[in-house]
Amino acid sequence: MELTAILYSIPWDQILIQTINGIVTGMILALIASGLTLIFGIMDVVNFAHGELFMLGAYIGVIVLATTGNFWLALLIATLVVALLGAAIQIVTLRPLLGRDPLTTILATFGVSLILQNYALWQFGPVARKIQEPFTGHFTLFYLEYPWYRLVIAGLSAAIIGGFWLFLKHGKYGIWIRATTQDRVMAQAMGIPVPWVHTAAFAIGAGMAAASGVLFGPLVGVNHTMGLDWVLKAFIVVVVGGMGNLGGSIAAAIFISLLEAYAAIWVSPAQAVIVSFIVLILTLLFRPTGLFVPTPK
Amino acid sequence: MTIAAKDAPLIAVDDVHTYYGKSHILHGVTLHVGPGEVVGLLGRNGVGKSTTLKTIMGLVRPTEGSIQLDGAPITGMPPHKLARLGVGYVPEDRRIFRLLTVMENLRTGLDRQGVTDEKKQALLDKVFNYFPVLAERRSQAGGTLSGGEQQMLAIARAMMLEPKIILLDEPTEGLMPRMVSQISNIIDVLHKENVAILLVEQNVPLTLEASERVYIMEKGVVRHHAAARELKMNDAVIHQYLGV
Ligand SMILES: Nc1ncnc2c1ncn2[C@@H]1O[C@H](COP(=O)(O)OP(=O)(O)OP(=O)(O)O)[C@@H](O)[C@H]1O
Ligand SMILES: [Mg+2]
Repeated sequence: MELTAILYSIPWDQILIQTINGIVTGMILALIASGLTLIFGIMDVVNFAHGELFMLGAYIGVIVLATTGNFWLALLIATLVVALLGAAIQIVTLRPLLGRDPLTTILATFGVSLILQNYALWQFGPVARKIQEPFTGHFTLFYLEYPWYRLVIAGLSAAIIGGFWLFLKHGKYGIWIRATTQDRVMAQAMGIPVPWVHTAAFAIGAGMAAASGVLFGPLVGVNHTMGLDWVLKAFIVVVVGGMGNLGGSIAAAIFISLLEAYAAIWVSPAQAVIVSFIVLILTLLFRPTGLFVPTPK
Repeated sequence: MTIAAKDAPLIAVDDVHTYYGKSHILHGVTLHVGPGEVVGLLGRNGVGKSTTLKTIMGLVRPTEGSIQLDGAPITGMPPHKLARLGVGYVPEDRRIFRLLTVMENLRTGLDRQGVTDEKKQALLDKVFNYFPVLAERRSQAGGTLSGGEQQMLAIARAMMLEPKIILLDEPTEGLMPRMVSQISNIIDVLHKENVAILLVEQNVPLTLEASERVYIMEKGVVRHHAAARELKMNDAVIHQYLGV
């Protein structure tokens, strides 16, 4: 009797809804964090401009959507343009700093983030823009009309991450990226053009951030500060997942997003954010090499 | 006492000075290696043997002096370009890509432009023939190999570049006698294939056996240079510089 009472008191419908919500945000977050952790792993650079690449992706999505009306084209073009921009940023600001004190690269990427943010403010103004989702269908989930588009976001993010994973695992350039991540010097000695591998990795990370910006754009307004919340969370995910560990980051993104989504059942979403900080602090205290990484021997 | 190389040198290092930060390590190293020649580089610990190889490979930049490959200057050239020009490097600590499989380790040197699939297969067949254990372990992560297997992989990986010369840093360090003789066999094989080798070793008998000429370094400079067969008959020099 007691047990049934407890089972009845648990809001199963809300838990299911929040599980879906958590996975959707988790996949977007994983897409952002994958790029961040790739860049950190390969060149020891903490990219403070990552949120602005996400934001620029969303703005380019807005522009392309306004001119062509095609969401998928907007997604593609935003990804490519921001990837190229990322390559340019890497060549101009980070390549000369390779091997220097990490502080210099932090300052450099922080500078880039300020420039991009203010450029967006100057170019697009303070009023949030809207990206229209490519389709507006809903399905019924208990008392909710749940948008299909959200599930598509999760699926597409998973597909992009999965594609990236395959690219890393198989094929010449994936081996180049992994070899460079493991031993930059030896990679060079084997004829791998490490400076260009760094540029390519930064471009890939930037493109993934832009793709998440466009995908997520329809759920929030697009404005010049939209990158801030996400990048903060992505940093937490990268630390909790083990700096530079791609699988760990993806697991941490989903884990933290689910926890926040469940917490939001009982507390306000703004308070639920605290959950990720608690996870971060506990990770740093007890497993500083990452929550999903086997403890190094 | 100068002993000329048979032909124009493949690698010519001339009066090279190298620093790590403020510490002056190489004080004007001069040496050369002819095409297809095996040359030993001996010296006590810390005299700058590895630094000499790193300087040739472009991993540290010399402040003075010049290095030439086939008569063209390569001083300060990035290592990946040197690798593409045919300089293979097998470092002291092997530096296997630990999380890459044996096959992927080999592919880092194999996936170059202009290498046909047949050529790739031929190169792989060749090293798998010399090192059958690598064929057995081709799908295993490099970091899980034994020390001797890692050394074989490091040499095999350099061979993937079809190098004109291999800079080989203490290949027998820490290996069992059986492994040591395998390494000396592969040096002979490479020699027969006309691959030049600049061999840094602590194992003096092996070096004298494998090399044609030997340089002996002391405190960042080359102090002695002789044909290997001369040194074999002259223990005094070896004793003076190496204390063995
Ligand atoms: N990265 C570095 N930074 C500073 N000093 C270094 C560095 N690498 C080597 N040294 C110093 O340079 C000197 C020469 O080192 P090197 O490794 O070339 O010697 P070696 O002849 O190869 O010695 P061993 O036989 O022990 O391998 C040593 O005094 C060493 O301490
Ligand atoms: Mg050494």
